[in-house]
Amino acid sequence: MIDKLKGLAFPALVLWILILTINSFLGFEMAPPVLWATGAVILFAFAVYVFKMKIFSYIFFRFIEAFLTLFAVATFTFLLLRVLPGGPFDQEKTLPPEVMENIAKKYNLDAPIYEQYYDYIAGVFTLDFGESYKYIGRPITEMLAESMPASIELGIYSLILAFLIGIPAGVWAASRHNKFTDRLLMFFSISGVALPVFVVSPVLILIFCYKFELLPAAMWSGTAYYILPVLALGTRPAATIARLTRASVLEVIASDYIRTAKAKGLSETAVLFKHVLKNSLIPVLTYAGPLVAGLLSGSFIIEQIHAIPGLAKHFVASVTNRDYPLIMGVTLLYSAILITSNLLVDILYSYFDPRIKLS
Amino acid sequence: MRLSLWLVVISSLVALSCTKKQKAEYGLKHEETLKINITSEPPSMDWSISTDTTSAEIQDNIMEGLVEYNFSDPELGLMPSLAKEWTSSNNAQTWTFTIREGVKWNDGKPFTAQHVIDGWERLLAPATASQYAYFLFGIKNATKFNKGEVKDFKDVGVKINEKGQIVVQLEAPQSYFPYLLTHHCTYPVRLDVIKKHGDKWTEPKNIVTLGPYNLKIWDHDKAIVLERNEMYYGEKAKTKNILAYMIMEKSTAITLFETGKLDVQTPLPSAELSVLKKKPGYKENGYLLLYYYGMNTSKPPMNDINVRKAIAHAIDRKEITTMLSGGQKPMTSWVPAGMFGHEPSVGTGFNPGKAKEFLAKAGFKDPTTMPKIELAYNTNEDHKRIAENVQAQLKRNLGINVEIKNEEWKSYLGKLKSDTPHIYRMGWVADFPDPDNFLNLMTSYSDNNHTKWGNKEFDKIINQAVSINNKEKRRSLYTQAQKILTEQGVPVIPIYSGVKHALINKRVKNYPVNVMDRRKYKKVVLQ
Repeated sequence: MIDKLKGLAFPALVLWILILTINSFLGFEMAPPVLWATGAVILFAFAVYVFKMKIFSYIFFRFIEAFLTLFAVATFTFLLLRVLPGGPFDQEKTLPPEVMENIAKKYNLDAPIYEQYYDYIAGVFTLDFGESYKYIGRPITEMLAESMPASIELGIYSLILAFLIGIPAGVWAASRHNKFTDRLLMFFSISGVALPVFVVSPVLILIFCYKFELLPAAMWSGTAYYILPVLALGTRPAATIARLTRASVLEVIASDYIRTAKAKGLSETAVLFKHVLKNSLIPVLTYAGPLVAGLLSGSFIIEQIHAIPGLAKHFVASVTNRDYPLIMGVTLLYSAILITSNLLVDILYSYFDPRIKLS
Repeated sequence: MRLSLWLVVISSLVALSCTKKQKAEYGLKHEETLKINITSEPPSMDWSISTDTTSAEIQDNIMEGLVEYNFSDPELGLMPSLAKEWTSSNNAQTWTFTIREGVKWNDGKPFTAQHVIDGWERLLAPATASQYAYFLFGIKNATKFNKGEVKDFKDVGVKINEKGQIVVQLEAPQSYFPYLLTHHCTYPVRLDVIKKHGDKWTEPKNIVTLGPYNLKIWDHDKAIVLERNEMYYGEKAKTKNILAYMIMEKSTAITLFETGKLDVQTPLPSAELSVLKKKPGYKENGYLLLYYYGMNTSKPPMNDINVRKAIAHAIDRKEITTMLSGGQKPMTSWVPAGMFGHEPSVGTGFNPGKAKEFLAKAGFKDPTTMPKIELAYNTNEDHKRIAENVQAQLKRNLGINVEIKNEEWKSYLGKLKSDTPHIYRMGWVADFPDPDNFLNLMTSYSDNNHTKWGNKEFDKIINQAVSINNKEKRRSLYTQAQKILTEQGVPVIPIYSGVKHALINKRVKNYPVNVMDRRKYKKVVLQ
């Protein structure tokens, strides 16, 4: 019984997250306790897995590594910003020196550089990134927390869309290798890879908002609003995943153990889904790590075109505004997401391919 | 599979207990709501600190200053607002404002002269670190107070007299002083509210205002909702609600406009103006912006007045405005069209014959012997089109080669200060519609003058003109100054004066259109 439950745990968790996502996609706002509980369950499952696989020391060292990486990122960003020409308060109309002095004093910009660096790093340790220079009086942590949900929602929906389309399409194409279906699917997937979002989005808007007035073009206020941006953002990764899956499935299909499985008399579908698929997912996972980080931290173009109140604009605007605290905030946030998703991908490797040992 | 079944049951329960997200219309009735686009999140609703036009657009509708523009006056006079009347004495060095009675803040408290003084003290206080503190530097001891040299605000030249009037003592005469009081940085504040809520005082639930609208909802990065202030002292706002979206992408906003989800869209993408012009609801109107090229007069060959004159004569401004096709007015003089002091006949206009003469006079009979000239602009599609046009014109009309270079905005600003290029692009938007605001920028002591050009006579005229209250005398002085600048010294080449473009739905009447682009919506009627 316990073994049976254990086998179910992973799919159940995936299903649960899927249900939550669909719920939120349908425009419902989750009660915070539900989200907290889900987070706790995921953490617990992770802890159990770590414990069972005896990879505690591996995880521990990865955390140390992550910490050092973040520290290096913080330091380099801090230094680079100081070398960048143009200051945060430079503008068309030059300010009188006494005004500039007051501003420098307020934001501690008149302190020696090592002191600013020390203050900054001390702040980072307490998750206090300071206040924005541009959005006067608003703490960076608050700004990021406010704009993250929209980006995460958009990212997760697009991610799910990409996997839901990409993997079956890849498997299907591989199983019809060099036949018409394969050619057709690969035609679409190469088009998908080639089409940039700044083409896809306006075309979708033209068709669905302008010509037929079926869907809203902008804002982020419910299911109807999600459809176009998610389609636009999900197309490209879906196409890439389809191509990766196809190539990898073709490689696995040719291996000896698949021939054995076929020789045992297993049906084509059983071979494909039980033996081939799981083993072909490794390259897709490799691609998924940075993809997850990229999608979760938002897409500048999509967020701009569809007026989504997400994180991505801060990546660009903070630099043009030389809003130092905000730049540091988004850089560290992105690094943290990237490091975490890479770690998760490494752990998932060992789940999908038990030959891979984490140590 | 039992586990998954459970999950489905639980999640349906969760779904039932969930709340629906706020809709994009915020439950407002279409016929009572003006839907506009303010493009992006306003950086701050604190009117003593904010410096951008997005925040100002909201602040102008929830607050008021002592005076406001009279946009029906072609030369932009002023009319009473929170001040009933005002007088000046001592050659425009002392100003007295009589406060309007019976004005109430939207929490019911009466408005007093002290609130104005509090606002000014806060604006000037070093701890506030407001970028616009310099607006009031003309007041006696204000600069010293901002520097921290004068500690007590009582020593600054602002008092309330026994009649309850505000008396302002200036360091030197400033005939335009009341114009400064139309700006949001000089609006009155409620220190008790700021003290109570700290940085969060500008949130809708805390903020206290007295303008025609109240700040009802501020959904960060998405939209702002303003609702009519029923306690407003003047004629109440005609339209009940204003829904201001934050949509950065112009083409998306135009789609929303064309499908009726947005009533007004401005600005419009300049590359598409020729198409948008034909749409119903298209409007263009003059805007007090001067677009110009400056020349570094200390960098050879631009240090030679003849080279500068040759270049100024070789640029046909009309060709540029025709290319832009946005209704911009070509300019050779310095003060933009649509305000007092504009003098279209002054300046160094297009004349290729004269241009060649001046170039020859400078010793470049053979234009190919000219040293390399760099023309710089900050990265932007329109600036690029103009720079390329000027490059082509200089090649065609003078035979000289100009290298164009672009740089990202803040780096560009840094470069202007540290190593000003031969020719650089700049613009100036009126802080207040007085020629002093434009001409002061070219004085030898101005921080905004990157040309390294200075002229003592020019400086003298500017200082003299500001202390005169007679309009005609001032006009002739400013004409003289513009001649020195654009005909004798020629450190700058004015290109055009600005235009604003908008698409306005036909159901919107009395939309505020003016040269300062101040958008006060209290008179807008929806049909």
